[in-house]
Amino acid sequence: MARPSEHDRPRDRLLTDDFEREALSHLNSLLAVGTRLTRSSAEAEDLVQDTLVKAMRARHQFEAGTNMRAWLLRILTNTFINRYRRGGLERTVLEGPDSDPLADAWIGSSTMEAMRDPESQALRPMIEAEIRSAIDELPEDFRLAVVLADVEELSYREISEIMNCPIGTVMSRLHRGRRMLKSKLHEHARAMGIIGPEPVVGREDSPSEPVDLRTYREKRSAAS
Amino acid sequence: MSHGCRPFLPFLEVFGDGELSADKVLEVEQHLAECRLCRERVRLNAALRASTRQALRAAAAPSSAFQARVTQAMAAERERQEQRVLPQEMPDRQRARWLPWHATAPIAAAAALTLLWARSNHQSEGDHSGASDPPREALAGVTTSPATESVDRLIDEFLKNHASPRAPELLEPARIPELELQVGVPVPRPSLDQYGAHWEGASLVAVPVQNHRAASLRYRVAGHRVTLYVYNADRFPLRATLEPRVVRNQAVFIGTRRGYTLAAIERRGVGYAVTTDLSDRESAELIAATIH
Repeated sequence: MARPSEHDRPRDRLLTDDFEREALSHLNSLLAVGTRLTRSSAEAEDLVQDTLVKAMRARHQFEAGTNMRAWLLRILTNTFINRYRRGGLERTVLEGPDSDPLADAWIGSSTMEAMRDPESQALRPMIEAEIRSAIDELPEDFRLAVVLADVEELSYREISEIMNCPIGTVMSRLHRGRRMLKSKLHEHARAMGIIGPEPVVGREDSPSEPVDLRTYREKRSAAS
Repeated sequence: MSHGCRPFLPFLEVFGDGELSADKVLEVEQHLAECRLCRERVRLNAALRASTRQALRAAAAPSSAFQARVTQAMAAERERQEQRVLPQEMPDRQRARWLPWHATAPIAAAAALTLLWARSNHQSEGDHSGASDPPREALAGVTTSPATESVDRLIDEFLKNHASPRAPELLEPARIPELELQVGVPVPRPSLDQYGAHWEGASLVAVPVQNHRAASLRYRVAGHRVTLYVYNADRFPLRATLEPRVVRNQAVFIGTRRGYTLAAIERRGVGYAVTTDLSDRESAELIAATIH
């Protein structure tokens, strides 16, 4: 007897194994988010295992045709909050309307270019470590917003459902989280000599831009 | 900052996230075509997003050991569900609260029947595997499985013994392993020294359902009574009714009742459980740290 193909079979009649298989296919995502939430790989593994067991138990609540990864991440976030943060995600004094939306306008274009320069790829492992520690230093709800948006590539709406907050709050957390990241990476890039000292605000478009890049390249070739 | 940038700044990030409305996208694109600085801002945002993605994904590749552990945990959960009679539609939270002691009346009725039946059929002790199931017709209309009844009965006995302990039958910790003869599974001598536990003595808990006995080891930890039980987990799978949780890399099964917390670990047919008046998290930690 011919078995119906994966596509013919309605999602809500998935066999046990199909549900489990799909859930397991999101293991990387769950672990990535869990690791950033707990900041510990051992605790993240426990959290992810808890999440998947809970998902098994709540499988009948999963709406066929919806995003299972977002659903699992929601369980993971709730589990994390219940287990580690009984009072909900930590609320920082930064909560509330963003008082200074232009605060990251200080980075000059040459600096930005240098920061994303493909030539600094050689420094990638170090930059990756720097990014991880910069993310770990973010307040919890900023960190979660950034990870869900930038690593898991979820939409604002999906993030707002996972974090149980309005879309405007998601945008504000994302913006501030990324701004903090940017400023930490900027510090790092300066310390590494990838970029020079920031020009005075208001003179970012000055024609002296290439100097930074040349300095960086010279330093690199001297180093190698 | 160039003159025309200011009104666009709040939108650049949203633009990069692909969440900007269509009409705004046109405006932003037009500005980007004219403004190098803002183009650079958008590029830096994109580069940062890509680096973040790469850095975090690279760091979170699950090990094969972890994958195996998770797969196993999910299979165990599926097995647990297949044995269960609880309506699946019940919300998770509510289920968590009621899970171990759902349908109290039918269980009590079933336990009473089982008890009567067991008494009339089994005068002697011995191996009762399979023999203690009450006749099918006696349980007609009762939706609980025999395994669940026994487990709830055992939990009842554990809590009763914890709440009003009898005088200990054995005071020397060195003799704890001797309880194996009565309990039918090895009884280790657990160490709760790391919690500054004070040993109070051991006794046996009789469970009428299957003429089973469990070892009860009593301690006092920082003013709290802690009773540690060792039991036959093949006959009394507490995991079938308690909530699973992973603590210190081990599956711990947890429930609360009448203000007491019960946390159990079951391994190779031997069950280890603690009853305390501590929080579920503390009890889980206690059993996970003791049994490893």
